[in-house]
Amino acid sequence: MNTSFGETGQTHSKDSFSISVVLKEGPLSKSWSQAGTTSDFVAEVLARHGAKSGLDYTETRHTIVYLVNELLENAIKFSFPGDVQIRCSLEDASFELSVINQIDPEIVPNFQALIQELTSRDPGELLIERIEANAADEESSASGLGILTLMNDYGVRMGWHFSNAVAGSGVVLRTQAYLTFH
Amino acid sequence: MEIKTAEYNIWAEGAIIHYEGTLRLSGTDAYQDILTMMQAVLAGNPPMITMDLTQLEFLNSSGINLLAKFTIELRKHPDVAVKVLGSTRIPWQSKSLPNLQKLHKGLELVLA
Repeated sequence: MNTSFGETGQTHSKDSFSISVVLKEGPLSKSWSQAGTTSDFVAEVLARHGAKSGLDYTETRHTIVYLVNELLENAIKFSFPGDVQIRCSLEDASFELSVINQIDPEIVPNFQALIQELTSRDPGELLIERIEANAADEESSASGLGILTLMNDYGVRMGWHFSNAVAGSGVVLRTQAYLTFH
Repeated sequence: MEIKTAEYNIWAEGAIIHYEGTLRLSGTDAYQDILTMMQAVLAGNPPMITMDLTQLEFLNSSGINLLAKFTIELRKHPDVAVKVLGSTRIPWQSKSLPNLQKLHKGLELVLA
């Protein structure tokens, strides 16, 4: 299986300023607080670098923390045995993030249907609609709201690539996010 | 009423609810205690509820959903005025708080 949704190409050159972190399979890849710790760390490094070329430190740092934290929370929430890999890069004002993790093949169809819905319409309208639906339903898990806030409130462009794992029984999900700072 | 940890502190002073620190709890259930505290303030039927977020440095999307859910609950009480205080110093607030006004037209958002 090789299926893609949205924007999934890697556009930054090899000499862009980048940072990679791997949360090895085990307690780290399943620990909720790891999303916060890791996102604070990568955002601090990239925002300090960006500030040297004129990017606003506070805005850059905060946005990267929010973005990395949301995608890592999802990776941890749907964790399946395997490492979680994070790669962030900054080239001038353009930021690129990929998060690679394995997910349970059983959740793939529902997740792909959700992605199709999230990317089919105006994210601002969908965000309000889904918040209303979540509030009306006590059992709702509010899925997709994080992604919609990224797309609508932060202007992030997203992509998802699914492929079969070489070893193990999970499906490899690569989530891509792109953002240009102003 | 106060909920305090090393990361965040939330307390009510009459009908003013203060939020301070970094909030990234793991989903709707984890936010239940905070929602219960907010609902208790509403249950007192005050003429106005104020949510002071000016010291809340970070909120994840589950937390944003908590504010949204409570805003929808407040909408059902048109006799209770709602004020949300935010800070332009904290990027998520200028980006995400305007969504609350889309949910409740009467909500007054002050970003300063």
